[in-house]
Order: sequence, then structure tokens, then C-alpha cells
Amino acid sequence: MSESVANPIIQRELVGLVTSRRALGVQIALAATFVGLVMLRWPTDARVGLSGARSFDVFRVFGYGLLTSLLLFVPAFPAASIVKERNKGTLALLFNSPLSPLAIYIGKFIGVFTFVSMLLILSLPAVAACYAMGGIGLWSEIGRLYLVLLAMLAQYVAVGLWISARTGSPDAAMRITYLTIVGLAAVTLIPNLFYQGQTGLIATLCDWVRCVSPIAAVMEILGHGSVGSQGLIGDGTIAYRFLLLSPILTLFFAATTISRLNYRIFDRSRSQGRITDDQSTSVKVARGMFYLVDPQRRKAGIGLINPVFVKEFRTRRFGRMHWILRLVSLCAVVSVLLAFVTTVQSEVWGARTIGGIMVLLQLLLVLLLVPSTSAGLIATERESGGWVLLQMTPLSSLRIVSGKLWSAIVTVGAVLLGTLPGYLVLIWINPDLEYEVRQVLISLGFAAILAVTVSAFVSSLFRRTAAATATAYGVLIAIFIGTLLVWLGRDAPFGFATVRAALIINPVAAAMAEMKVAGFEPYDLVPIAWWVSGGLSLACLVGLAVRIAQISRPS
Amino acid sequence: MSGEAVIEIENLTKRYGEFVALQSLSLTVERGRILGLIGPNGAGKTTTIKILVGLSRPTSGVARIAGADCTNDVRKIKRLVGYMPDKFGSYENMRVREYLDFFGAAFGIRRSARNKRIDEVLEITDSTYMQDRYVESLSHGMQQRVGIARTLLHDPEVLIFDEPANGLDPKARVEMRELLLRLAGMGKTLIVTSHILPELARICDRVAILSGGGLRAAGTLAEIMKTVTQARLLEIQLNSADQVDAAAAILGEFAGPGSEVVRSESERTVQVRTSRREDEWHELASKLIGAGVRFSQLREIQTDLEDAYLSVTEPSSKADAKRSVTHV
Repeated sequence: MSESVANPIIQRELVGLVTSRRALGVQIALAATFVGLVMLRWPTDARVGLSGARSFDVFRVFGYGLLTSLLLFVPAFPAASIVKERNKGTLALLFNSPLSPLAIYIGKFIGVFTFVSMLLILSLPAVAACYAMGGIGLWSEIGRLYLVLLAMLAQYVAVGLWISARTGSPDAAMRITYLTIVGLAAVTLIPNLFYQGQTGLIATLCDWVRCVSPIAAVMEILGHGSVGSQGLIGDGTIAYRFLLLSPILTLFFAATTISRLNYRIFDRSRSQGRITDDQSTSVKVARGMFYLVDPQRRKAGIGLINPVFVKEFRTRRFGRMHWILRLVSLCAVVSVLLAFVTTVQSEVWGARTIGGIMVLLQLLLVLLLVPSTSAGLIATERESGGWVLLQMTPLSSLRIVSGKLWSAIVTVGAVLLGTLPGYLVLIWINPDLEYEVRQVLISLGFAAILAVTVSAFVSSLFRRTAAATATAYGVLIAIFIGTLLVWLGRDAPFGFATVRAALIINPVAAAMAEMKVAGFEPYDLVPIAWWVSGGLSLACLVGLAVRIAQISRPS
Repeated sequence: MSGEAVIEIENLTKRYGEFVALQSLSLTVERGRILGLIGPNGAGKTTTIKILVGLSRPTSGVARIAGADCTNDVRKIKRLVGYMPDKFGSYENMRVREYLDFFGAAFGIRRSARNKRIDEVLEITDSTYMQDRYVESLSHGMQQRVGIARTLLHDPEVLIFDEPANGLDPKARVEMRELLLRLAGMGKTLIVTSHILPELARICDRVAILSGGGLRAAGTLAEIMKTVTQARLLEIQLNSADQVDAAAAILGEFAGPGSEVVRSESERTVQVRTSRREDEWHELASKLIGAGVRFSQLREIQTDLEDAYLSVTEPSSKADAKRSVTHV
């Protein structure tokens, strides 16, 4: 501890973060969100609810809002911390100082953790207002909620630093951190959906995996059981198990990051550019079996197609052709597995529930994939200096941008198509679902286009890919997950009209409503949701065109 | 063909609000010549280049390349000019050949012709051996050569390179210099900016010195030297530092009123700039010997491009900050 008190990195990290414009923006946004969440459901009449149900409604909205806000903003802060220093050369200076790797890590961890905890402190006035209304336990609800969130913050800061020590650029670190956190928070909930209420080793394992997610813990504290609990009553230990697992994971990530903080972080040779075409026949055959599109094969020249479109597939930092093909294959496999579950468990689950899960999985795919492929479309060019070179070619701005947009749309489209077999099986089981499936697929198409256009527009606003990626994730999570949080608070605290108004901007919600997933049946969102997402996409395209005109204009 | 002006700049001015980045710049460059554009940071070099390649619009004045207006005929300019900015502009996961193929396709060169052209530009820039390497993994010197290969793809008449020798090691600088001369030998007209003045001194036919947005000197190297070396620089190497003051007084008297005497006790030298003729220098030697000043050398210091550059871009007090200067 004495080492950390005297640690100069803490002060530099903390002061650096607190004084940045980004931090100010986040603080203002969060403070406004917390106040808004409480005000939304603050009683306006003179009656007092003796049961405390009203205040618990307010607390629920606040709790979910707090969790979402933190999931949205926290990964952005630790993710670039180490990789940025490495690329600037200041990490080498730190290694050359008397500071040990442990001291460097502690400095960074405490600096970032203190800052993100300050974001949590910003919510205290709002939660105090909830408490003042009565009906909420200081420890049983508020204390446990804040303890879970603090543990989550520590864990995600450790995850962010772990990834930061293993990536080559801040934007890659940002992207992978967001993906990992979505994985830890949301994907860990999925296995248990299929085994809840059952016994045996796999069921127990899935139950524990669920406890890695802070979403499950917060839902339990806020009295919602768990995601897709199908009315099963939980044993009330999820939050405690999260509080047990989270520090273990934090320590694991911290230890493995510290072990990385040495010369090895710089010890990378330059690629010599091996080409498969120049390898022996056996190597060629082996690689041919492993790769459908070998990234080390000498590529043919670009044909008549838009060269920017081809370039994007070959060079983008995430989503190069061979990875996209792997992802499409994985989607097809998962989709078929879901179809299998549908056939064996259709009596228990119902085809509509399976359809709902598939829509959610596709939402996750869109959220994971789109910012990674689209948020760098313009920002990366500007950051690398490529934009000036493109401007010096005869390619028009329209051709450049359309090549880029099509590369993103084709990628997302291909991945979503990979999930089609599951829907086909659904139709095969229940032919009456054909119309709904068609509506769902159209809704998902709108979702993909909205996500791409929003990310591309965001990309045109920034000079740095990392900032564009973080912002795109934030906006898309707000559109696709934030509106579902409002739906979670349907009936209480939000009324039907409020929930419907929120869901209208989310085409994924429209897909769920079309599939008549439990809880979405009352909402008739098609075609209005299509119009809204189409309008938003168009607005983003117009915004993108304006920005491209601005940045292409001679100064 | 030589003698025909390919690049014409007339009264080019660029203002950003109150700030004047470029003030009434006029220059011409003939076909197959190399113009060196030198000046300190903020002198207006990059602004000039950006206007020439159509990335910036002048507040007033005209710039033309091969008759095409750099402001209004940007499409033509893109075909006429190969521009290498100071930032390389690399793409990840892209090999050198793919990088050139992409830009060749962007310039609308057909695939079969493009492959041939890529081979040619790799050959010209001695980069063939690195065609399978990833561009982001290349050393700075290699990247500069690939950058030049990129500018040659569409066979432009004019090449504009912003700081091509910046950050290169001595061997790479020599190679870069040879490459630039080779390009000029191929009939290309070049504008090259640099802070590394000896590079320009060796390869440029004409030099333009910019400072504070204005043109301070322009012409061939000999013309610039003549402009700034009307007064010759004499230096005396003394045997003892004790006699620096005595020698400075004699040199000041010899050079006349208003002359500037620079003394360095650590180097045991005294310098003075004088317009007196060479056949009068024996008087100075006689006076020094008569005063008992012992010296090992009395010589003229040759002014090079660096001195010319400093004399027009920096106040003398700054240039002589490390030395004691006396104005007589």
C-alpha cells in the first residue's frame, strides 16, 4: 500500500483522466442520466405508497440505468491505458525507471479505478432520493447494488488493462475490450437459459457461468430473478456468487497483466512478409485446408470493382475476409445448434422463445461486429494519413464512401445470413411462422443498416479510430440495449406509451414483437419501427455526406 | 524542353483570419528541374505545397501546373502531380504490391497495365525486393521509397515531396538523393522540401528560402550565395585565449564601423564579416603581428547554404547565441 501511495503514476493517470474533455463529457452525461432516471418516475401526486412499491420502481429504473451507463463508459478508460503509452514510447521510459512492473500496474489500476468509481459516486444523490422515498433497504438493495457495481468496475478495469497490454493499437484495445465485456456481461447468461431448473454437472457449471455476469446479479438485487427465468424462482445467491467470482477474475487478469509488463511487450520482430505461394507444396496444401481465403496468399490485382471496397476487405483492422468467413461459418453452426435445441426442446421452450433467443443473438452479433467494421471507416483513414492520399486520386468522395459503406453492409449481411438455417428450421417446425420470420428478417436488415450508418456517421466526426469506436459502441448500445431496458421497466415504472415510444427506434424490438416473444406481444411496432430506423439511417447518411464534404473541401 | 516553366506561382497569398501563412509568393520551376523549398517550421512550405496539389485554396494569387489551375482544375492536377505528404499513409495488413495495386486501381490504370507499371516503379525505386512485405512493417526509409513509387504510378509530370529525407539515416539519405536525381533525369519536375540543407545543396537546381510566409531568397545555389555573401567572413585562429579581446579590437577596426565581431574564447577564434578586398588583408595581418597577437591561421570561411538559410531566416543574435558578439 505504501508503494501505491507514493506511486507517481496514480496521480498522472487520475489527473490525466479527470482533466480530459472526454471525462467531463462522461461526467455531465452520467449526472444528467441519473437525475433524469429518478425524475422520470418521481411521484407527482400527493398520495404515499405505504408498501414502498413505488420507490422500488424508481430504484429499479435507476439501478438498470446505472448498470447500463457504467457498462457503456467504463471500458473506454482502461482499454487504451497501456497500449497508448507503449506506442508513444513512455512505457519504455517507465520500465527504465526504478518503478517495478507491480508499481506501474498498481499505479494504472488505482488511477483508472478511482476515476471510474467517481462516476459511481455521481449517482449517490439520485440513489439517496430513492432511499428517502422509503421501502428500499440500505444494505439489502442499495449496499448490495453498489458492492456489485464496485466489484464489476474493478474487474472491468483489470480486463481493460489486460487487453491493453496485449494489443497493438488503442482502437484495437477499445474494440476487444468492449467485445470482451459484452461477452462477460451478456454471453455468460446464455448457457444457463438452456439448463435452468435442471441438475447435473453441466447445469451447475452453466449456473455458475451466469454468475460471472453483473447483469444477473443486478437483476436479482432489483427483484427480477434472471434473464429468461421462465418463472423459476432463484436461490437468491447470484449477487453473492458474483462477489466471489469477480475478485478472483480481477486478480487473475491483474496477475497475468503484471507478468506481461516487461521487455516482452516490445519484443516483436517486424513481419518479413511470408507468402504462401513461395512455400512448399505441403505447406500450401495444409494452409489450403485450414483457410478458405488464405491471408498470406499473393492476391490478384483489383478488377473493375470499386478499389476502396476491395481495400477495406483486405486491410481493415477488424473483419478481414478470412475472419468474416470464419464468423459466418460459426454463425451457421450456432444457428443449426439452436435449431437442434428447438427440435428437442420445442415442447418446453416453444418455437417463439427460440426465435426470440435467435433475434437476441443476432442483436449481439450486430452490436459486436458493426462498430468494429464501421467506426473506423473514415476515422482510420484520417488517423493514418490515408485520407489525403485518397483525395489525391481521381476517386470521387462518393465512390470512396460508397465503397466503404458497402464493405461494411456486405460483411454484416453475410454474417446475418449465416444465421438463416435456424429460422428455416423454425419454419419447418411451425410453417405458420413464415410470415413472422419474414418480418423479423426485414427488421434485422433495418437494424444492420441503422447500425452501419450510425457507426459510419460517428466515424466521420472523429480523427482517432479509438474515440470513434468507443462512441459508436455507446450510441448503438443506447439504441439497441437502452430501449430494451425501458421495456424491462414496462408497466412499472414505465407506461405502455413510454415503452412503445422507446421501442419504436429499435428495429430489433420490432423483430421481437413480430416473433411475439413473451413481453413483446402488446407492442405493434411494424411498420412504424421500420420507418423510424429507415429515417434515422437516412439522417445519418445525410450527416455523413455533409461531414465528407467538409473534410474533403480544400482548406 | 528545358526552359519551359511547368510550375508557375504568381503572388500567392494565404491567410487564416489574421494570420498570414503565405505572402505574395511568386516562383517558377522549369521542366526537369528540382526546386528545393526550405525554411523553418511555419515558413509556409506545406501551405505552398497544399495549394499546388489542390488541398488548399489560396486567398489570392494563382498557381498553375502545366497550364492547369491548381484551384479550379483539381481533377487535372491529380493526374499531373504525384504528391508524397510527410505522413506515409499506410494501411494495415497490406503488402507493398497490394498497396501499389490499390492506388493504381484508384487512378484507373487497367489491371494488365497496372501490373507492368508496378514492376517499373518498384524497379525505379529499388523496392522490388520488398514487394511482399507489409507496408506497416517497413522501416522509415523503405516506406519513403514505397511512397515515391506510389507517386510514380500514374506517371505524373510533376512530383512534390514533403520532407522526403526527414528521419532517414545517412545511407538512406544518400539513396534518397540518388533517387531524386534519377527522377529528375527521367524528365520529372520536382519540388522537394527539406530541413536537411546539405541534401538540397547537392541536388537542387534552384532553391527558394521561405520564412514567416514570405520568400526571402530564390534562385540557383550560386545566385543565393552571391546575394548573401557580399560581405566575406574572416576568421583568425589564435594561439591563446588571452588575446581574443585584443584581436577582436583589431578586427573590428579593420572591418570598419557597424561591423559585427564574433569572439569565442573556448575555440580561440575571432570572426568578422567584411567587405574589404582580399588584397587589403595583409594590412590586417601586419596590425595583428604588430600588436603582438600570435595566431596560427587567418582564413576566409566559405558560406554554405546553411549560412545563407540562417542569414535570411534568423536574427543574427539568435544564430550567434553561443558566441560573444560585438558590434563595432
